[in-house]
Amino acid sequence: MIFVLFGVSAIVFYMARGFPSAFAPWAQYVSEKLKPGQLEAIIKAHGFDQPLYIQYWYWLQDVFHGDWGYSNWANGLPTYYVFVSRFPFTVELTIAATIFTVALGIPLGILSAVKNNTAIDHVARIIALTGYSVPSYWFAYILQLVFFYYFYTWGLPNLPSGGIISQGLAGTVPTITGLPILDGLLAGNLTYTVDALAHVILPAFNLSFISLGYLARIVRASMLDVLRQDYITMARSKGLPERIVIYRHALRNALIPAMTLTGIFVAGLLGGAIITETVFSWPGVGNVSLRAVFLGDSNFLLLYCLVTALIIVVTNLVVDVLYLFIDPRIKY
Amino acid sequence: MNEKADRAHGTESETQARIAELKYSLHLMRQNPLVLAGLILVVFFTAVAAVATLLVSNDEAFMFDFGQSYCWSNAVFSWTQLEATCPPGTNFILGTDGFGRDLLRMIILSIPLDLKIAFLIVAAASAFGVALGAIAAWIGGKFDEAILRITDVFFAFPGLVLALVFAALFGRTVQTLTLAVLLVWWPTYVRLTRGQVLVEKEKTYAEALKSIGVSPARIVLFHIIPNAIYPIIVQMTLDIGGVILTFSALIFLGFSPSPALPELGNLAADGINHVFTAPWLIVFPGLTILLIALAFNLMGDGLRDILDPRLRR
Repeated sequence: MIFVLFGVSAIVFYMARGFPSAFAPWAQYVSEKLKPGQLEAIIKAHGFDQPLYIQYWYWLQDVFHGDWGYSNWANGLPTYYVFVSRFPFTVELTIAATIFTVALGIPLGILSAVKNNTAIDHVARIIALTGYSVPSYWFAYILQLVFFYYFYTWGLPNLPSGGIISQGLAGTVPTITGLPILDGLLAGNLTYTVDALAHVILPAFNLSFISLGYLARIVRASMLDVLRQDYITMARSKGLPERIVIYRHALRNALIPAMTLTGIFVAGLLGGAIITETVFSWPGVGNVSLRAVFLGDSNFLLLYCLVTALIIVVTNLVVDVLYLFIDPRIKY
Repeated sequence: MNEKADRAHGTESETQARIAELKYSLHLMRQNPLVLAGLILVVFFTAVAAVATLLVSNDEAFMFDFGQSYCWSNAVFSWTQLEATCPPGTNFILGTDGFGRDLLRMIILSIPLDLKIAFLIVAAASAFGVALGAIAAWIGGKFDEAILRITDVFFAFPGLVLALVFAALFGRTVQTLTLAVLLVWWPTYVRLTRGQVLVEKEKTYAEALKSIGVSPARIVLFHIIPNAIYPIIVQMTLDIGGVILTFSALIFLGFSPSPALPELGNLAADGINHVFTAPWLIVFPGLTILLIALAFNLMGDGLRDILDPRLRR
């Protein structure tokens, strides 16, 4: 686990600092006021002329002191602050997308398994397959086009096309948790909450449409597997109604693999959905990381990749441990 | 196990068994309309890709002739240029794009490029991954551990970010973007192959081959990999769709070598400039990507059911 984090940081560090065309780490010190020779002095003073492994060592020392450097594009704010101020938005989007995924993916999978090899199964499978064949950037624009633009031209109640909150409402609620919906609720401001909810629907649906396909497929496969087991035949032969057999006996065991997958999704989404956040101008970490790539902010990229890797590694661990509690057949 | 040992030697009954197996596979395929649909779509797109340059001249993508445009009624003034996009209709089946090019012809022209890149990336990633995974599993020990840790690192990455940084560093060319996607894609095959080979290696036929003095390279290459290949083939089929999605996403996010390049992601990226005035420009290229990816996913999904012996009888 520690090795993974070191590996990730070393690869990003090497790529972001090592290549001749790499992002210049001293860019934040460049200004018009610099006299000739001063830039060289700065490069020397910060050790940017040293070999890479020494630079990496300096960087590691800084990181363990809690110094992640500065992001020159964000008015020179500390990179850590930039990340922390954007992370709650990504968390909100993740929660909403996970709710959508689970609420749509699991029923789709169950339906597909119970009505195996019928027209309903085929339709459900096509929906699932479309979900992960769809280019998410394209689907995002289609959603905007339909639910924002066409609904607007038809005079229907339309959903906002991007952002986290309408312009007039921004800043009317004190930031407590950083999650706009939760903040609105805590402040008792219903308009704000509803507006924030309306903003989250489209990006969350876009994200979940991709993952619900995977989830539905896993649920279908494990449900089919469970329905073939002896104890299901036993339950049926006892004369239990099919509903009870499926929902009380089969579903519980069939959902265990689905849980792993959901864990992986949450981890991936917390890492920021770059495409969706960019198209919906959602100010989360994924959106900012794309900006960091274009602006050559290696400090932000390092922090971002490390946090994402940490989330993925920890989630895998947590899912493994949760198995122990959920599935009595597994013992370590 | 006897069956497998027989197979390695190749007898007459074995060829018969294979033919029966094939017939049964075809029967299963006919039973499953989704696989058939996927197969038809895949054949269709591959055929279009094969004859695309005969249908549309490659130069057409880079010829902008605004004077020839028929659609000044839909002209939209932007700050930089006068754009005339035709709606889908009689002159142009799918309309024309912001450069005044026929959208249908551009889509036809971009299918071979996308498919070629996808095949290339999947072939390279699987060749590298299968080789590395097989060697790691066969040798085992420290080497295996090291390879496993390296793939761990790559799995913990937000994949797109790695590709983005790579593309940002090495410039916006099609080759760089191909390498960037390849960089993210190979670890899956290492993991998959390693797992398969580890299982096969313990089986009796591998032991038998070892005991009669067959060289390890021969055992792995000619006996173990053929037995472990089905899940890898399924993964490759599924990945072609995924690679096209990722590649076009990179282009879409701003790593396009040239705005005029006939590539599906690029066509869609051009479409976002006109999303409210000429929605067809984003709808059709994206729909094409969706259909290509769906075709390969349908086929891969079906192949999994057909090739997996546990799901067969």
